[in-house]
Amino acid sequence: MPTTVNPLRPVAGAPRPYHFPDFHRTRLPNGLTVWTVPVPSAAVVNVHLLVDAGAAAEDEARGGVAALTAQLLVTGTRRLDAGAFAEATERLGIEVSSESSWDSARAAFQSLPEHADDGIALLAEMIREPRLDESEFDRLKAERLADILQARADPGRLADEMFLRHVFDAQTPYRRLSAGTPETVEALTLDHVRSFQASHWGPGTAHLIVGGPVEHDTVLQAAERHLGDWAGTGPGHRTFAPAAGGSRRLVIVDRPGSVQSELRVGHLGIERQSPRYFPALVLGAILGGVFGSRLNLRLREELGYTYGARAGFDPRRAPGPFSAAAAVQTEVTVDALREMVELLTRARDAAPEQSELSEVRDYLVGVFPLRFETTGGVAMAMEPVAVYGLADDYWHTYRQHLEAVGPEDILSAARDLLMPDQFLMLAVGDASKIREPLEAAGLGPMEVTAVD
Amino acid sequence: MPDIPIERHRLDNGLRVFLSHDDSAPIVAVNLWYDVGSKHEKPGRTGFAHLFEHMMFQGSEHVAKGEHFTLVQQAGGTLNASTWLDRTNYFETLPSHELELGLWLESDRLASLLPAMTQEKLDNQREVVKNERRWSVDNQPYGTWDERIQAQLFPEGHTYHHPTIGSMEDLDAASLEDVGEFFATYYAPNNAVLTVAGDFDRDAALAMIERHFGPIPANDDLPPPPDMSIPPLIGQALREEVPDRVPLPRIYVAYRMPIFGTDPFDDLSVAGDVLAVGRASRLYSRLVRERKVAQDVSVFPFPIVGGASMFTLWATAKPGVGADQLEKSLLAEIDQLAAEGPTAAELERIGNLHAAAVESSLERIAERADRLSMYACLFDEPERINTEVDRYRAVDAERVRQAMAETLRPDNRLVLTYVPAEAPAEEAA
Repeated sequence: MPTTVNPLRPVAGAPRPYHFPDFHRTRLPNGLTVWTVPVPSAAVVNVHLLVDAGAAAEDEARGGVAALTAQLLVTGTRRLDAGAFAEATERLGIEVSSESSWDSARAAFQSLPEHADDGIALLAEMIREPRLDESEFDRLKAERLADILQARADPGRLADEMFLRHVFDAQTPYRRLSAGTPETVEALTLDHVRSFQASHWGPGTAHLIVGGPVEHDTVLQAAERHLGDWAGTGPGHRTFAPAAGGSRRLVIVDRPGSVQSELRVGHLGIERQSPRYFPALVLGAILGGVFGSRLNLRLREELGYTYGARAGFDPRRAPGPFSAAAAVQTEVTVDALREMVELLTRARDAAPEQSELSEVRDYLVGVFPLRFETTGGVAMAMEPVAVYGLADDYWHTYRQHLEAVGPEDILSAARDLLMPDQFLMLAVGDASKIREPLEAAGLGPMEVTAVD
Repeated sequence: MPDIPIERHRLDNGLRVFLSHDDSAPIVAVNLWYDVGSKHEKPGRTGFAHLFEHMMFQGSEHVAKGEHFTLVQQAGGTLNASTWLDRTNYFETLPSHELELGLWLESDRLASLLPAMTQEKLDNQREVVKNERRWSVDNQPYGTWDERIQAQLFPEGHTYHHPTIGSMEDLDAASLEDVGEFFATYYAPNNAVLTVAGDFDRDAALAMIERHFGPIPANDDLPPPPDMSIPPLIGQALREEVPDRVPLPRIYVAYRMPIFGTDPFDDLSVAGDVLAVGRASRLYSRLVRERKVAQDVSVFPFPIVGGASMFTLWATAKPGVGADQLEKSLLAEIDQLAAEGPTAAELERIGNLHAAAVESSLERIAERADRLSMYACLFDEPERINTEVDRYRAVDAERVRQAMAETLRPDNRLVLTYVPAEAPAEEAA
């Protein structure tokens, strides 16, 4: 075999500094906050309109109304019916999206610079004069109900949904998907949507974020022209304190005929504003956030049990879940689950070696400029700053925060944030094959359920 | 229209090199396309090209198992690889001062993979790939759709007949000897293209490429491309019904079509976009929004070049809507577009959507590098990255009508229907 003449890893050159782009922010008299992130070299413009109208803002009895409201907005305006609105936007090369998560709702589009102003005009018309008609409401509601059915046929999505249901207690809204359950969606009416839209989609809690080859003055003028006299202030979101669904336990969700088991292990995690945010981010990456993470190396590269294993925290306004996940062939379900539990538990025993920590931290720091290569990435980065009120210099100091995380911080985060006696262990798989071996393994009290 | 700079070079060993400079961010992409995919596989070894791709991350003479990933990630880079019918690609995106790391890693495995290969590594990755198949195909609702379409549209003996992921028994049969033979045959600089895009110093980059790739010998006995010739039409109407663990029926309609890179391929891509891209598309407007018989609609013309390609279109039935009813509605819309052709407004709509989508994709230098490699590897014409939008816009109603009449015919069509199974589906072998 021929070999290269260069057996040694080449020495890196001098890094070229990268700075997250500076942004400009102005609050209009009606409360709308306008953010511009100029990226002069960009070929496209991204426009995100965020409103405090996510699932955290809805009544629990109306679960899914926030999601359905966001979706229904793209079905036209008083002037343009659903077909005409789709025509008007797509003729500009624009596909408008509108969706919600727990903490906010987002109406957004991307366009070539020459179509951005027309796009903002249509987006403004859509949120200010939405059509919200019966026929489109009925259709989207039926599509949402059918999508829940489809999701439950997919073992990975089923495992995610069932994990949430069991990891939180019955009073915690996060125990369901933010887009609602079949029961709550079934009960929604067009009036619920109209009233949610009227009360929650207002400028008082809204942020308009524009990234691309644009100037703040131009963006401001467009915002004033199309949204300056938008009126209303929303009531905003509920606050709640998520609670655990139980102590250590094992749940099997029977999916007959499965050739793999979808495994999840986890419990309550942290909130977005937690002082532990950066240690938790690095801890999650060490456990299951990069290819060389402990879970992936063990379950994939050593044991060949899975195509990939991952883990991490999902911080929200209130504490969201921590979870580890892998899809493994049915035959190794018990071994794989035991490996996951032991690996997570052992993270509490000792601080990571400096080399392991550096590997992960250097990745998170070094990959920073790659994350903001697209204007979409830049606009997306402003969202948590707007929604959670992070510091203005959040992205400018982000890498310093990461670099400050040391081995002892990881150990202390692992001891405080990983709680083996609280583990929910969940397996979506063929119960006729995995039930007995899991019972015999004695990992914890076990419950077998079927899909609704 | 994009205006991506392209500079062409060729090393003495046959490696084709493309440079595309852009220093707007301090990042650089390294992208290699090897002209080998699952279409080059031998009978009894389906899935091997992809399994081999996994082995390329198991170390080489100077790189330990897994180190390829850790070195790139520690440098702040991202990386991956993929295998498909025609080709295998490997790519890294790195902070620009780490360009040489990417080049070195790629050259080391091309120069000296085999000394690092062991039975244990092969057995490990074989299990990983089998789990990839279980995860993406066998345990996934509708997961067998593309392999069923390939098997029906291409006869046995044609190497698009089998799926890239391969069969479990063929994966089990793969040996270290196969790894050695495949490497010696296909992994040579004269069977690859290398693209570097983004922020780099031209002369320094060329020197690095020469330093790391220059000493690797060519394979003077590259096998001729496999014979992929096949009649343009199937010649009969095909049907297949699959009971699966799915709540809603789904119809896939598939036609044999001219290969990627030809005018009729563009014509049919336009037809597909008029039918199924965007909320103003015909199928979304009429089947999803107006008549409410479909939950969703999608279209995908396969960008492949081996004798013929596949035009695929699918729709999921709304609860309570039968597969027959959905099939009739779908086919009626295809027939109507074939008869009347798209309107000027429809062409304007999808032309603008396409142009915006291309500009958006090309924001990422990794995507730029990948498309340059693709056009270079498949057509020896990387300049197509800049003419793609114009080629698409040049398609008019008459071309669409003609291409649809020639290709989207009942005697060239497979209708593949997934229906909810009574009992759980059989476990795959």
